[in-house]
Amino acid sequence: MHVSALLVGLVLFLLLGFLWFGAWPFLRQDGIASLFASQWYPFEGLFGMAPALLGSLWVVLLALFLALPLALAGAVFNLELMPSRWQGFLRLGMQVLAGIPSVVYGLMGLWLLLPLLESQLELLTGRSLLAAGLLLALMILPTLMVMSEEALHGVRAEQKESAINLGLDWNQRLWRVLLPQAWPGIRSACLLALGRALGETVAVMLVVGSMDRLPQPWYNLLQPAQTLTSRIGREIGEAGMGSLHWSALMASGLLLAMLALLLASLAQLMGREKR
Amino acid sequence: MTRGHWSKLLIALLALPALLLPAASLGYILWRAGPVLDWAFVSSADEGMGFGVASGILPQLTGSLLLAFSACLLAAPVALGCALYYQLCAGTGRRGILLILLQMLQGIPPIVFGLAGLLIFVYLLDWGVSLASGAVVLAGVVLPLLTVNVIDALQRLPTHYSESARSLGLRDGELIMRVWLPMAWPGILTGLLLAMARALSETAPILFTATVFSGAGWPDSIFEPVTTLQTHVFYLAQEAADEQAVATAWGSAAVLVGVVLIFALLAQCLRRMSGSRSD
Repeated sequence: MHVSALLVGLVLFLLLGFLWFGAWPFLRQDGIASLFASQWYPFEGLFGMAPALLGSLWVVLLALFLALPLALAGAVFNLELMPSRWQGFLRLGMQVLAGIPSVVYGLMGLWLLLPLLESQLELLTGRSLLAAGLLLALMILPTLMVMSEEALHGVRAEQKESAINLGLDWNQRLWRVLLPQAWPGIRSACLLALGRALGETVAVMLVVGSMDRLPQPWYNLLQPAQTLTSRIGREIGEAGMGSLHWSALMASGLLLAMLALLLASLAQLMGREKR
Repeated sequence: MTRGHWSKLLIALLALPALLLPAASLGYILWRAGPVLDWAFVSSADEGMGFGVASGILPQLTGSLLLAFSACLLAAPVALGCALYYQLCAGTGRRGILLILLQMLQGIPPIVFGLAGLLIFVYLLDWGVSLASGAVVLAGVVLPLLTVNVIDALQRLPTHYSESARSLGLRDGELIMRVWLPMAWPGILTGLLLAMARALSETAPILFTATVFSGAGWPDSIFEPVTTLQTHVFYLAQEAADEQAVATAWGSAAVLVGVVLIFALLAQCLRRMSGSRSD
């Protein structure tokens, strides 16, 4: 038993250790400066992380801003407005949505979302940060909704009752009591969802376009772009083991792991604050 | 209309996507898969020169199940060990450390597991792109989920069982074998089913460590590559010029979703049943 508990720590240690080991040749040569370099041309030895980093940032934030209102509305609707007999229905739906594998979302993105975007926005190609953000929003919706619902459900009955006794109407109760009280839980849900979206690979890879350059201008979401995950997914097959390109991809993986760990620790710290 | 009514209406409107999207997504997948989906599609292999394009996804289906099952088989003892450790360390700081480690591990993206696995197993240990490499990588991916579920299952046991067992003088080993495991097995099985569903739906970590596009059937040894449904969908989806390939991709996607949902919903049923029993 002690061995298996140690093993969990060992897995984490080995994972990061070997990534570091793989990324070391690149880190020694380019180091921190590569985070701000904007050109990624493996054949010319230019490995700038900025385009993929910015792309990742854009898609996860876009996904969160699209999905959060829908998820919160869904949670409030299910708890407050739906007859209790039907509440399980929406939860089942969310389980179904969560159960669809990411590659299938990718397929839907490629053959449903991209043609739609192309015809509606009159783009040459629908492959863009927007497409990836929309797809990710759909993918994190279940996590966000289920966790927000739990947070709303956990608001204590006395508080709801005293709000009613104070004569607050439904609107006020929602905005001044229910949502503020559930906020710590909702915040954790957001952080977890961000981490999930950040690490999502195949679905993003299929729709983002894999074009390694900074969006022009920086807020242009309608151009093909790249994220950290899609870059690793697209290029790791081509890069030869031991080459600088390979090492730079390992460094991208390390960067991704660091960001994900940061989000996970934030979620944990804030979760502890709540209690 | 009062303000309360307006906001209720607004919330109902915003909640509409959450209500409709699950059914719409499933319906759309089935609709696109409809033309190719029949029993022969699932139960036959593509023997011809079509590189898996034409029809028959039996090798992919068995490959997916084999890989997911091996991963769970590898992860299960470790998860069980961790959960028992957690249970026996009640009241010490070690519990918190284990939980933090698990949450860290859970936060790491699956593709990162794939990268590390590619380096460690495929190259350094020279296992090649194989079932073994993929199974170990996937085991790492599902380990935190499985452990958290087994811990939950053990924690849900009423404490008076453990207390009575202790007062009868049972030692750790006997407590585990005679009380905890017999009482908690539905919860543990639920965790395993969920881990299977998770392992079946991961694509990124096995794309470079375990699978090839075609030409692999049932592997003769654990050091041979497999083909899986997930990667099959992934490759075929990009064959824009070939309508047959895309149709097969939708068919495979529908089968994949079906298999994953079977595991996930079975887990849900089991959880409900065992939950109501122990109340």
